[in-house]
Amino acid sequence: MKVLVADDSGTMRKIIVRNLQAIGITDVTEAADGAEAVARFKPGEFQLVLTDWNMPNKSGPDVVREIRAMDAGVPVVMVTTEAEKSRVLQAIQAGVSDYLIKPFTSETLRQKVERLCGAATQA
Amino acid sequence: MKAEHINPFLASMVSVFDTMLGCKLTRGNPYVKNAVQPEHEISGVIGLSGRAKGVVVLSLCREAALSATEALLGERPPEINGEVADAVGELTNIVAGNAKAKLEYLNLSVSLPTVVAGKWHTIEFPKSVLPICIPFDCDWGPVAMMVGLVEQASPSEAAQATGLVLQPNMAAQA
Repeated sequence: MKVLVADDSGTMRKIIVRNLQAIGITDVTEAADGAEAVARFKPGEFQLVLTDWNMPNKSGPDVVREIRAMDAGVPVVMVTTEAEKSRVLQAIQAGVSDYLIKPFTSETLRQKVERLCGAATQA
Repeated sequence: MKAEHINPFLASMVSVFDTMLGCKLTRGNPYVKNAVQPEHEISGVIGLSGRAKGVVVLSLCREAALSATEALLGERPPEINGEVADAVGELTNIVAGNAKAKLEYLNLSVSLPTVVAGKWHTIEFPKSVLPICIPFDCDWGPVAMMVGLVEQASPSEAAQATGLVLQPNMAAQA
């Protein structure tokens, strides 16, 4: 299983990668901004995308829209502090599959990943 | 500074330290911060703008900064370095972002975090902002949060206060 993680914070990328490794996902591609995330995404290559909202060059919702245009089925999770109702609605309209609000626990991330990808996390 | 403004930051600080770092904070007594010098050695700073403007500062002693980075990344940095600065910046970002979501009516935006380290560093708040400092204690030593936030009058409120009559613009007339 291959995952794309987009966040401009190196710390947050490391936290997410650590949590993914803890549930057996080691094939992770990192992107340090929105434009890099879209450039690295290839349809069919990734089984999950985790993206931040506030990033340079391209925002999270723009990343989601562009990935959705390339691959309608890949699960995309917005990982962000943007928890206002209007923001959540905006993310849903952009096409997110789920929403993970920072701060989050390892357990919450694990549950989201397993719900979206199921047994794939064991592969 | 209104209590309804400071409480979301306080709750966010306690929640972020507990959830992300597994660290329980004990709150001290808040006080008005007149000096421009933060409480501790390393500070994460974030600006807030929207229907209110202000600054949030997360200030950590050296041991707390190193231990928080270790809790986040799984490895203890040997000294205050770029990795620690990035971790403190991200913590500040999450504290501010989480509080912002509870102040939806202010329609706040947060700036990118800036991190300042060194024993004698200073941070300037906007002139109209009187920051409140909330000290905390934890197993890693003292940490503190400073919040200064003032509501901005909307254009119609400002016009009312000055007796100014606002004319609708061409776009609104069309």
